[in-house]
Amino acid sequence: MAGAQVEEKTKPSRSILWVARPMLTAARQFGRSLLRPSTIVYPFERLEDPKFRDRVGIGSGRPIGVGHIWDNYRGVHALNIATCISCNLCAFSCPDLCIDMVTVPGGDPKHPKKSPQIDYGKCSYCGFCSDACPEGCLTMTTRYELSVTKRAEMVYSPQKLQEVFERKLPMNPVRVERPANEDAILLEPLLCIGCNACARDCPTNCITMLDIPKVEPKPGEKVAKRIWKEPVVNDSDCVRCGTCISVCPKECLFWGIRT
Amino acid sequence: MTTSLLSVSIALSSVLLSGVGSIFPAPIQGGLTNGNTIDALGILIFGVILLAASMLNTIFLIWWERKLLGRFMDRRGAMHVGYAGLLQNFADGFKLFRKDTVRPRDADSMGFFVGPTAYLVTSLVIFAILPISTGWNSGNLPLSLLLAITIFSFAPLFIFISAWSSNNKYSLIGGMRSAAQMIAYEVPILLAIVAVVIVSGTFSLDTIVTEQQNYWYWGPLFLAMVVFVAGMLAEMERIPFDLPEAEAELVEGWNTEYGGMMFAYFMLTDYVRVLLGCFLIVLLFLGGWTMPSWVPSAWTSFPLAGIFWFMLKAYAVFTVFVWIRASLPRVRTDQLLRVGWNRMIPLSLVSIVLAAGLVLAKCLPVFGCLPNLGG
Repeated sequence: MAGAQVEEKTKPSRSILWVARPMLTAARQFGRSLLRPSTIVYPFERLEDPKFRDRVGIGSGRPIGVGHIWDNYRGVHALNIATCISCNLCAFSCPDLCIDMVTVPGGDPKHPKKSPQIDYGKCSYCGFCSDACPEGCLTMTTRYELSVTKRAEMVYSPQKLQEVFERKLPMNPVRVERPANEDAILLEPLLCIGCNACARDCPTNCITMLDIPKVEPKPGEKVAKRIWKEPVVNDSDCVRCGTCISVCPKECLFWGIRT
Repeated sequence: MTTSLLSVSIALSSVLLSGVGSIFPAPIQGGLTNGNTIDALGILIFGVILLAASMLNTIFLIWWERKLLGRFMDRRGAMHVGYAGLLQNFADGFKLFRKDTVRPRDADSMGFFVGPTAYLVTSLVIFAILPISTGWNSGNLPLSLLLAITIFSFAPLFIFISAWSSNNKYSLIGGMRSAAQMIAYEVPILLAIVAVVIVSGTFSLDTIVTEQQNYWYWGPLFLAMVVFVAGMLAEMERIPFDLPEAEAELVEGWNTEYGGMMFAYFMLTDYVRVLLGCFLIVLLFLGGWTMPSWVPSAWTSFPLAGIFWFMLKAYAVFTVFVWIRASLPRVRTDQLLRVGWNRMIPLSLVSIVLAAGLVLAKCLPVFGCLPNLGG
């Protein structure tokens, strides 16, 4: 019977409390806001800045399952025209019909090479196109500052998407600085989801994805659910650029010393 | 401090007039350097200085409220125009200045334009009466408190004129609410002032402040101060008593039909009256420009120290007003009027009896012993 009763919210019994309690609440909020405001001064500060990394993440830096909010953010696309095979799958998969295949130089006269041109006035940033891309040449970056003054400027030609790609804006725009004494890329295999992002973005192709047998989790141990592949770094070819650490969506690659 | 704003202005005008008069022939020069001419120009300069200072203070007050309220709401307030947004209000005012003044077709032209102007002017006049420090007003009038309150209570008339002239139902309801609210709360305010007058024995604001050298009146007259502050909140139409302009229900109340410069008049006058209310509270209950004797004398003897402490206290009172605004929701009209007539007036009568009892029992100097009241 006691469990069935729902406790009512305690009401102040005296009328002075109707004034005093909200004022105390407001004062507490005021102090909290003075010490640590919830807002940032946007054009001068950004959520991607390292000083905000621990503050705004979902789960605040605990990397299992979820990362920081911008790790999965889908912004403007990046296109590598050189690897595009003009298969049209991105345009087929687009729910907003915002992708047109336009001719780009590089094909022969019989079969002109076509690459996607994206109208950001229509795009809903669903990411189906980059999922559908068989070659991984159309990817999504975290760039979100897309405001323009003319409507025509919202249409990104393949060349412009190529510029986005060449500017090498990775999935995680914050470059992880390499400590002086640590020169090897290490892997936390329990967090790896085998997404291939490091191997795809490695400039020297020194990362290969190897099949590994599925590991049974020990009781009480946090294990990523599906592990198919994990990266292996060839240290002799690696130039220590850190791109793989930056692009890793799960933050399972890190700088260290190989023992 | 023996200098006063008026004597400074008259000295300035005599320097100005003798300088200008020297380039004219003797008869004109004699007329310009005449004592009456110098006094007239001096009073004009006094008015201009007072107007500029009070306007700047009002605009700074708005900035202070925006910053404080922002922090209360977990925002930052104005940030980008000037240092920490200090010039944001000038930008807003300039925008309003450039806008057209639109008069509704069926509005009464005379009342529509005279209302806001008279509202602003009658509120600004009070700055000439309130002393900010010794001698820093137009003169030590024997009945300055009564005069200030009288001019202060003109406001509902002009609000009602402009609300009626707007020919809009929201404006009319807002104006009626404003008139009812201001009249209901003027009575307890005046009764609370009677308590102050009983203790100090004078209607002159300068003398009331000098009487508070030993103990500020918020100790002995705490009840009167509570009534006065609550009544002032209602007079200034600030949250939680902002029924006349209730945005959600009345579309800004009596401001509805006003735009551009006329709206700026209303907006500015609201804050002018808030500043006046803070000044009155500091003068009547918080010791004006006097400081307790335990404050080191070096802190109270630098030039313009009186003005500094007075403004500091006024802004502290305003900070409490912003705090109240951030905390409390708006009350209903019937609640407001019931509290005004049924609670505030009895409380103020009790405070009068208490004040009279304190004076008769001669126990006022007791309050001088309390450490936080000075003495």
